[in-house]
Amino acid sequence: MDTLANVTLGLETALQFSNLIYCFAGVCVGMLAGMIPGVGPLTAIAVLFPLTFYLPPTTALIMLGGIWYGGGYGGRITAILLNIPGEPIHAVMCQDGYPLAKQGRAGVALMLSAISAFFGGSVGILLLMLFGPVVANFALRFGAAEYFALMLFGMVVASTISQGSIIKALAMVTLGVMFGSVGIDIYTGVPRFTFGVAELTKSISLVSLAMGIYGVAEVVASIREEQDVGEIDMKGVTGAAAKPDRQDWRRFWPATFRGSAVGSFLGVMPGAGVLVATFMAYALERRVSKHPQQFGKGAVEGVMAPESAAGSAEMTGFIPTLTLGIPSSPSMVLMAGALIVQGITPGPALMSQHPDLFWGVVMSFWVGNIMLVVLNIPFIRLWVRMLEIPYHFLFPAILVFICVGAYVEAYTSFDVWMIAFFGVLGCFMRWAELPAAPMLLGFVLGPQMEDNFRRAMLLGNGDLTVFFQRPISCAFMIITFALLPFIVWSAVNEIRRHRGSGSGVPVNS
Amino acid sequence: MSDRNFRDIFSGAALSVFGLWFAWFSINNYGRGTLENVGDGLFPAAAAVLLTVFGIVILWSGLVTVAVKSDFRFRVPLFIVASVAAFALLIGPFGLAPAVVATTLLASLAELKTKLLGLAVLCMTLCGLVYLIFIVGLHLIIPMINWPF
Repeated sequence: MDTLANVTLGLETALQFSNLIYCFAGVCVGMLAGMIPGVGPLTAIAVLFPLTFYLPPTTALIMLGGIWYGGGYGGRITAILLNIPGEPIHAVMCQDGYPLAKQGRAGVALMLSAISAFFGGSVGILLLMLFGPVVANFALRFGAAEYFALMLFGMVVASTISQGSIIKALAMVTLGVMFGSVGIDIYTGVPRFTFGVAELTKSISLVSLAMGIYGVAEVVASIREEQDVGEIDMKGVTGAAAKPDRQDWRRFWPATFRGSAVGSFLGVMPGAGVLVATFMAYALERRVSKHPQQFGKGAVEGVMAPESAAGSAEMTGFIPTLTLGIPSSPSMVLMAGALIVQGITPGPALMSQHPDLFWGVVMSFWVGNIMLVVLNIPFIRLWVRMLEIPYHFLFPAILVFICVGAYVEAYTSFDVWMIAFFGVLGCFMRWAELPAAPMLLGFVLGPQMEDNFRRAMLLGNGDLTVFFQRPISCAFMIITFALLPFIVWSAVNEIRRHRGSGSGVPVNS
Repeated sequence: MSDRNFRDIFSGAALSVFGLWFAWFSINNYGRGTLENVGDGLFPAAAAVLLTVFGIVILWSGLVTVAVKSDFRFRVPLFIVASVAAFALLIGPFGLAPAVVATTLLASLAELKTKLLGLAVLCMTLCGLVYLIFIVGLHLIIPMINWPF
């Protein structure tokens, strides 16, 4: 069996001692980052990103991946015990997790959500193993026209699904594409938008951009909304109180199955990702539940379904990233970036050229998920302790590591200045409610999109209809164009909604 | 003016002005080429034109909607960005330790919660951590302390 050989190869890679160590380090860092408000897994990935230059690519991706899904496990603890969502994706967990904790069933909630997340993650990993090779094989036939159409499709869908204003998201994607065009043009060798700055010829550093608009802006926003950590009642967490009863288990399977299905599907969609998946899973569960009145007051389904959705979405998000080279979320952008820095382009060829990398990373996800379940419950006291580190000690540390990290990428203080620049931009964007995720996506996909557009034009003798002549590319184009009326409609709708609101102040013309 | 969505008006205007300038700069300095052989200025210019359009829509939506109250305090972002800038200034001539200390101190000014002793301990810890991770652990060649004069 081909698959069996691949799995064996993957396990061999994932179980190497150094990979195990970095996997462990990754999930621990991720768990802590997920717990501490103001430090997301994305910030943690950005801070540790420079370390990956000095690791083998497989190990690097194993560690970054560990941070990514470890964050989900950590955020859950604070959401359930303290009603503090470490990350927006855990806001749903507070709905029913905290009421459960108040009823003295915190241990049950934690245990069930850990198992749900593991189950969802396993479903996601299985899908990744099954569909990864299929998608990659399919994508090997893609030409320039298909890639251009696919990227256009990805950008438009990502902006459409993302939260908030669609027009603002689209504006940010295009702004990202524009930032992406800075640097030497690969066709003509002309340095574009460099204004004579030598450091800009090799294009804007992804690390600086991501750390500026996420890291710095996140720190600024978190300082304002610092929360006090209350007392935690540890009685309901350990011992017999942590054992789910028979009824909990009966409610476990259907909820987890539905959650995993929702999560797996939305995880693949660019822009939707984990956040939308958790909300959708929660909404679906309340809709189909026989006792919807329990939701919000401590329904176990309200904990299990979003958690399994998050677990599976975190895993299936790797399908487009690794097989098509199209990252579905900002964290995926950074992980793809870590591979690119190492000289490996994520895409359909990845699986055949570096099978040990793909399968090793996939199998390490399983190892990491098991580590998380094992680490989670017994050491919960220890993890919660970490919350007592005050944020005013943490944020200078984050800034220092961001700066050092950006500096060591090329040993130039220019990249640190770029963090300051993008930090200002990031703060402005938060104030103006302009989303940062689409901009990062546009920045990474923009250069590839331009490259494929120009190649498609060259091959098609300047005929723009080339994108409609090939079936796959035509399908992507048609779906993209079909979204246009929806975009216009929702933009108009949004304006109409805001017109009357705002404490009844009439609009003067 | 106060009941308009000033936030959207301003950001929309900024985006469209930037888009216009970017398109103009791109077309003027780089080749447009033909569709068959696309020049190096066409794609960025097209993106910039799109941004201008989106910017105008955001501006227009700000004009017809009601303002959402939002305060913007300058203190926090100012000190945070300054702390990053301080690192950029100091790392080259003075080395890691002074840059780390300056960043820590300036960043802490954004929120005056840390006491003097806490700050000193934090500075030392961070210098130690950076030394252990980047110089001992990763064998990077960055001087901890440098004296340029």
